[in-house]
Amino acid sequence: MAALFSGAPPQGGPGYSFKQTPTMAPSGERQHGFYPYTDNGGSTLGISGADFTIMAGDTRSTSGYNINTRYAPKLFKIGGEGPDNKGARIVLSVVGFAADGDALKERLDTIVKMYKYQHGKPMSVSACAQRLSHVLYNKRFFPYYVHAILGGIDEDGKGALYSYDPVGSYEREQCRAAGAAASLIMPFLDNQVNFKNQYEPGSGTGHDLQAKVAQPLPRDTVESIVRDAFTSAVERHIEVGDGLQMMIITPNGVEETFTPLKRD
Amino acid sequence: MIPPPDGGACVAMVGKDCVAIACDLRLGMQALTVSNNFPKIFSYGDVHLGLTGLATDVSTVSDLFRYKVNMYRLREERNISPQTMANLVSSSLYERRFGPYFVSPVIAGINQTSGKPFICGFDSIGCIDFAKDFIVSGTASDQLFGTCEGLWEPDLVSCACSGDMG
Amino acid sequence: MVYSGMGPDYRVLVDKARKVSHTGYKRVYNEYPPTRILVQDVARVMQEATQSGGVRPYGVSLLIAGWDDGIEPEAEGKDQEEHDEEKKKISGKTGGILKGGPSLYQVDPSGSYFPWKATAIGKSATSAKTFLEKRYTEGLELEDAIHIALLTLKETIEGEMNGDTVEIGIVGPPEDRLLGFEGVEGAQGPRFRKLSPQEVEDYLTNL
Repeated sequence: MAALFSGAPPQGGPGYSFKQTPTMAPSGERQHGFYPYTDNGGSTLGISGADFTIMAGDTRSTSGYNINTRYAPKLFKIGGEGPDNKGARIVLSVVGFAADGDALKERLDTIVKMYKYQHGKPMSVSACAQRLSHVLYNKRFFPYYVHAILGGIDEDGKGALYSYDPVGSYEREQCRAAGAAASLIMPFLDNQVNFKNQYEPGSGTGHDLQAKVAQPLPRDTVESIVRDAFTSAVERHIEVGDGLQMMIITPNGVEETFTPLKRD
Repeated sequence: MIPPPDGGACVAMVGKDCVAIACDLRLGMQALTVSNNFPKIFSYGDVHLGLTGLATDVSTVSDLFRYKVNMYRLREERNISPQTMANLVSSSLYERRFGPYFVSPVIAGINQTSGKPFICGFDSIGCIDFAKDFIVSGTASDQLFGTCEGLWEPDLVSCACSGDMG
Repeated sequence: MVYSGMGPDYRVLVDKARKVSHTGYKRVYNEYPPTRILVQDVARVMQEATQSGGVRPYGVSLLIAGWDDGIEPEAEGKDQEEHDEEKKKISGKTGGILKGGPSLYQVDPSGSYFPWKATAIGKSATSAKTFLEKRYTEGLELEDAIHIALLTLKETIEGEMNGDTVEIGIVGPPEDRLLGFEGVEGAQGPRFRKLSPQEVEDYLTNL
């Protein structure tokens, strides 16, 4: 379908950084290239509820048409105690260039832990969100090639969700999909979470139609929306699959689940 | 080399004893809207053809098929069936294999002989995609793929089928 | 398709008919042309030979038989069929694109063509047609039709009739039993078959 305009597979470009062999320039010199970035595929999403936030991501890592591994988590607990982040209340998801994602996670985790040592209290999500923006912008001219989403519980006990572009522009939202299948998942989320393009049945036609108003969804509903979003994305995007990692952040802590996805 | 497609989206779906086909009405160049009333679905008797892509080719191709379908009706004294139309579209597009029309057609219709719903889609050179569930096309095809894959189920009734386009 | 007249001209026409049914139809619609369309195409070829410079008209008359699927939905009101067994046969598939079923056309060298229920061409066509007019009835069964056809031939042609001098071709609904295999979805049996010399011989002895 649509062979000439869309859904373009990785073409021409290097599969990974060091694959490029030196080429001859027309003038005769050998040209060496180093491409510092790779796209590792995959998708993530986050939805915030009344008193929880759900973060999710598939666990496939790709380069071009190859699968590097079927289990490379894109969700990371931030803060808490020790290397296992015990008692953390913040989750970061990163999708795009996995190496930058790991580096970013490491930076933010250190920052949040240092904050607690220095201030004697855990960092709030809003503070962490702004700090992450600065971390990203600090590398404005050699960016972390990632789409980050930060989830947690805000100071009022409500679910909080922040999404970022690679250079730190950020916004608090109800839901956000990122990564390879973002374009597939996001309109589904608009429809199912914020009830976009849904109307009250029987409220009339044309301008009389009453839009269905969005309200915070219960946790099991959100969980099934997340599962549906990913099983659908797996059907139509080759870079998404293998496993679904979910982290549900509540005032009582972070619950982590793993569900297998199709591996084809 | 390849002209950028003018924005547009089209989706066709099979439901219980029915088909639905929908398109947006916008004609634009990237962010600039030129018209808000540029239909992309054309009806030829029992068959409905959705065309997205380059607007000038949408007009040309829709007129070409109006001509071809009218000639068919004149010669054969019958309406063209969706299946026959699909093969006609395919062969007509492949005729332009090395200088294609920049369109991604979608067909929806009900076969009057068998009473069965039929949909299919094409790439710009006529390769047919016989899908049992839904076909999407245009600059928003990714978004439509995501929503359709998430919301489609067998035997949708007509009001659910024509539900949402973002 | 059968002919009466000049053999070589017929062979050329068969080639052209086969070619035009693909280039002008199958390669466009991925299905074979309905009988009437093929007849029109062949008739056009013959007519053009009457008008073009440097060629002579084709020296043959043709009979073209075909069987079409039809486009109207089938079998509405089964109870009605039970009520009136007699009517069922007549209102069944009687040919043409709308209802589907068998059809028979005659094409002349001029390019004019006519649909027939039963007809003959060739030297003794007139007497054969008179004979057919008496024998033909609406809703004939296949066996009776073969019988009548052979009787007509016997009455009107000179020379011996046996399995090697008479050919019988049958055009009818798809015969899935002739496929030689079962259980393949969408597979359709042949709509045309020729009887073997042995089968023809059997019919002739029963005459």
